Parts: sequence; structure tokens; C-alpha cells
Amino acid sequence: MKKYLPWIGLLARLILGGVLLAAGLLKYQHLDKSQMAVRAYELLPISVANLLGIVLPFIEIAIGILLVIGAAIRISAIVGAALMIAFIIGISQAWARGLSIDCGCFGGGGQVAPGTANYLPELLRDGGLALLAIYLIRYPQSKFGLDRQISNGEKNHG
Amino acid sequence: MANQKPGKDNFTRNLVIAVVVGVVLLMLVPTVLSKRTNSTAAVPASVSAENGYGIVFNGDLTSVPVLDIYEDFQCPICAQFEKMQGDYIESLIKDKKAKVIYHTLSFLGPESINAANAAACSADQNKFLGYHRTLYANQPAENSGAWTNDVLAVLGQATGITSKKFTSCVNNMDYKGWVSNVAAAGAKANVNSTPTVFINGKEIDRKTEYFSADKFKAAVERG
Repeated sequence: MKKYLPWIGLLARLILGGVLLAAGLLKYQHLDKSQMAVRAYELLPISVANLLGIVLPFIEIAIGILLVIGAAIRISAIVGAALMIAFIIGISQAWARGLSIDCGCFGGGGQVAPGTANYLPELLRDGGLALLAIYLIRYPQSKFGLDRQISNGEKNHG
Repeated sequence: MANQKPGKDNFTRNLVIAVVVGVVLLMLVPTVLSKRTNSTAAVPASVSAENGYGIVFNGDLTSVPVLDIYEDFQCPICAQFEKMQGDYIESLIKDKKAKVIYHTLSFLGPESINAANAAACSADQNKFLGYHRTLYANQPAENSGAWTNDVLAVLGQATGITSKKFTSCVNNMDYKGWVSNVAAAGAKANVNSTPTVFINGKEIDRKTEYFSADKFKAAVERG
């Protein structure tokens, strides 16, 4: 089993990192809309939401790149897990309060026509990504990463 | 493999991490700064910061309802709204029954910025309402490449704007800074969807009042 862990790690890294990178790049192209998406959760004060709408895509891009190239895997995975848990909380509270919003996960965002919001698939996806992040926090060793001492050093683990 | 010393590649790895984080931070700072209101940007006629940089009609009237309309020229639902309520809103302006402020947002992409800039140029020619109507009547698919500045200038001529100043204003994006000020003001006003209509500072009911002629009229008259 130990032998396969680095391959699972690689897969987890590429999926989580790829999704974060894509989400960040798509948001980066429409920052007004990204700010709008954060505001629409009605969770944060307007000025904080507007700042987060700009900063969040950059965080996603940075963590995405680091995960894909496999550098600082554990720290990146901790940030990735924190992001996913924050998204899950945001989407759940929007659902519970009956808001009609687009999650704005991959660009887009803001209010949508009442009744067309679709929260369950978004929650399942973010839940799955959170699990990948948690896996990487527990087993950061993986193939083809820059974190060599971890990827080859099973002595660091177990 | 096994005889590789732990930490051998730490230098490369740390360098890569530093470069990635550094570049992202370097891009973040100017982006945050560019979203701040630029108080020196040129603004079209009738515009002021107090009205969220919107294009104002009947600004001198008091004791009438104030309509703040937030829209994006590329937004299809805004085109439907214009079709449904446009004539009524124009009649409110003409009969001096309301103060109307148009906020031309641009979150859908570069062609929204072009269109908002061109609309501001048309305001200088006192043709904003006509041009507004022309834009929605000729709305292409979002960011299909159709709304270049050349096309937007021609649409102006189709609206009866003959001034050369309009054409150069459109082509030189004279009001680009203003367009981002409008966007920043819309963000501060917590506008999360287009169209968004505030009557006397309060949003009308999204479920019922946008797309019913009677209910919209009732909302305006209620004030």
C-alpha cells in the first residue's frame, strides 16, 4: 500500500491544484463579478467582501500552482482545505437562508432567478475537494513534486 | 533514490515557492489599487460622485421618486427589462415625474466597458436615452467580439449622433476611468445582479416587480 501512496498523492495534488488554478484564473478575468459573487453570500460586510473578491482569485492561483508543481504541499493543502471548508460554510448558509445565488466558484456569481440556484452538487464537489486536501495534509508524499525530501523519504512518515 | 539526502532540493523548492508567492503578490497590489475610485477620471455631463457616478436625469427635481438603475449593456435580462419598462421610464423622465440615475456596470467583460464608455460619450451629446435604446435593440451575444468601438460609433450615428467628438470619444475610450468608478460605486452599493433597481434607495422586489408593468409602476408611484 505504501508504494501507491505517492501516486494517490500526485492525483490528489493535480485534481485539487488544477481545480483551484482554473477557478482562480476564471475569477481573475472578471474581478467585478468575483466581488459581486462574494457580496451575494450576504455573510461579510460589503467592504470586506469587495476586498475578498479581489484577493481570493490570487490565493487560489498561488495555491493551485504550488500544488500542481508539488511545492510546499502540506501548507498548500492546509490552505486548500481551509478554502474548501469556508466555501462549504458559505454555500450551506446561503442554502439554509434561502438565498438565490450562483456560488461563483468558477467565475460568474451574484444573484440568480429565485428557484434556479443549485447548491447540492456544489457542496458535494467542495466536500470531495476538501477530502483530497485533508488526504494531502496527512500524506503529503507524492510523485513528481518539488518537495523531494518528502516524496522520497518514507522515513519521514510511518 | 533511497540514498538521496533529505532536503537536497530545498533550495530550488524554496526558490520556486518564493517566486510563485512573490509574483502573485506583485500582481495583487496593483489590482487592488486599480479598483479604487479614481477621482481625477474624466466624467460625462450630469455625472457626480454623490450619485454613484451614474448618468442623472432630472437631477434638479425634488420631492419625486429617485430611480437608480444598475445595468450592463451586455446583460440579456437587462435587454428584457428595457423592452418591458424602457418606455415607461423614459416617460417618467420626459414628464419630470422622477429623477432617474443610470449606472452602467461592466462586469460581463471588455465589451461592456466599451459600451458603457460609448454611452457616456452619447450623454455628452444629450443622446443617452436614444443610444441606450439602440444598444439594447442591437445587443449581441456576450463578448462575441461584435461591440468594437468602431461598431459602437456606427450605432451612435444610427441614433442620430453626428458629432465627430462622439466618434473620437468612443474610439479613445475617454471615459474608461469613469466606467471603473461606476463599477466601484456599484460594488459599494451592494449591487449583486443586473438589472437592479432602487427606488428611493430601496431595492424593489426581485420576485415580482421587475417584469410586471403594473407592479413596477405601482412601485414607482409608491416611492
